[in-house]
Amino acid sequence: MLIVSGSTGEPEHSRAGHPERPERVAAALAGVDELRLGSDLTVVPPLVATRAQLARVHAVAYLDQLAAFCRGGGGDLDPDTYATADSWDAACRSAGGGLAAIDALRRQGDGVAFVATRPPGHHALRDRPLGFCLLNNVAVAAAELTAAGERVLIVDWDVHHGNGTQEIFWDDPNVLYVSTHEWPLFPGTGRAREVGGPRALGHIVNVPLPAGATGDVVRRAIDDVAAPAIDDFKPTWVLVSAGFDAHRADPLAGLELSSVDFAGLASMVAAFAPQPGRLVLFLEGGYDLGALRQSVAAALGALVGAAHPTDDPTSGGPGMELVAQARAERIAALRRAEELVLPEGSAL
Amino acid sequence: MTVLRTVAVGFDGSPDAEAALRWSVAVANRVGADVVVVHATGLLEHLDRPAAAGDLEAGVRALAAEEGLDPGRLRWQAGDGDPCSVLLRAADPPISADLLVVGSRGQGAHAGLTLGSTSHELAEHASIPLVIVPSGRPAG
Repeated sequence: MLIVSGSTGEPEHSRAGHPERPERVAAALAGVDELRLGSDLTVVPPLVATRAQLARVHAVAYLDQLAAFCRGGGGDLDPDTYATADSWDAACRSAGGGLAAIDALRRQGDGVAFVATRPPGHHALRDRPLGFCLLNNVAVAAAELTAAGERVLIVDWDVHHGNGTQEIFWDDPNVLYVSTHEWPLFPGTGRAREVGGPRALGHIVNVPLPAGATGDVVRRAIDDVAAPAIDDFKPTWVLVSAGFDAHRADPLAGLELSSVDFAGLASMVAAFAPQPGRLVLFLEGGYDLGALRQSVAAALGALVGAAHPTDDPTSGGPGMELVAQARAERIAALRRAEELVLPEGSAL
Repeated sequence: MTVLRTVAVGFDGSPDAEAALRWSVAVANRVGADVVVVHATGLLEHLDRPAAAGDLEAGVRALAAEEGLDPGRLRWQAGDGDPCSVLLRAADPPISADLLVVGSRGQGAHAGLTLGSTSHELAEHASIPLVIVPSGRPAG
């Protein structure tokens, strides 16, 4: 069973020539259509995230400023990020997409969900828009779950580090954030030594990878660096910041994944969910429409057993040695941090 | 008294950034400091990075020469990230700037709006002295 929390693509939140555009949602939904799921597909409209739900992860002053900026007609927020008069409403629906997906999964008690909304969210900071993102969609959903006592794993396989999500949950012991991403690349964060705050040491897992890295390297990163932390954390829900801009055809970055590599990643991540009905994928980046459609079909097809071969898994790219290096840097950073936090003589 | 060895100036190609660069060069010429021009590479710049960054750097070098700065005392440093984060890193090695200079408004920001204002963010978070050069201020 696949539940899709989809939007119209929010055509009023758009700018001519900008790669983060309404057609991305249509491409993602076309990928869903390719699976021909029939009655195994349920489409639910996004909810509109409330001020209280947004305020769990964003500063109230920022929410007020952004809403007022949009009411005033919008404009450029930074060299990458824009808002229009309708962007506040679009962003609240995008942030509510995950909430609708969670509600639907709870009712069904089974299946997986895909949130096909925009604008994307993982760069949005607590008090600032960034990198095409206005509100942090996956964070809003994760905070909804942690408020209900859940332990939430967020896996972010977007090619860019999800600096906003990391910042929001930096010191939250109820969230484990795992990111594989190209580095150096925007936004410049996501080093392996970034491991979380004093109340949540080890709850941030970053594996920076070089341009040209292939699917086998990303899989190794999850297996060798992230899996031990995930096993210790024992998540009750798994959310995925599913950007598809690590695809080799993407114009904004340099990783070399194929569409079917995302099927492998989806299967790996699904295995971390404790039971059916606890997995939600969120559309983040992905700016080549053909690659986006194929990658969504491959990833979701793997999750619902509708195999959708489009190309071959990739391997042999650079960065395998950097996975081991990231693991070593992470362990060293944790030891340094624990020496500062724990009383002398405490066990690691 | 802090010795001014390295001035880091944010540059995004905007008129205000040009004013900040001219001011920085004037100060550097007076005290014999080096100038590091810091450029934050955003997401969109990856669509046409070589041309965009190359054009900006060439323009910076021409402007600094016009202001009489020894080319050997000018460095161009591009870094991935949002302008605020990249500029804050200028205080750390390898730049280790003693002074940070920015224009009052960069590209993609609206007058009177603190949301998205790099200079506002830097004023809150900078660990080294910060100069915000007002728009239209003459160099020096």
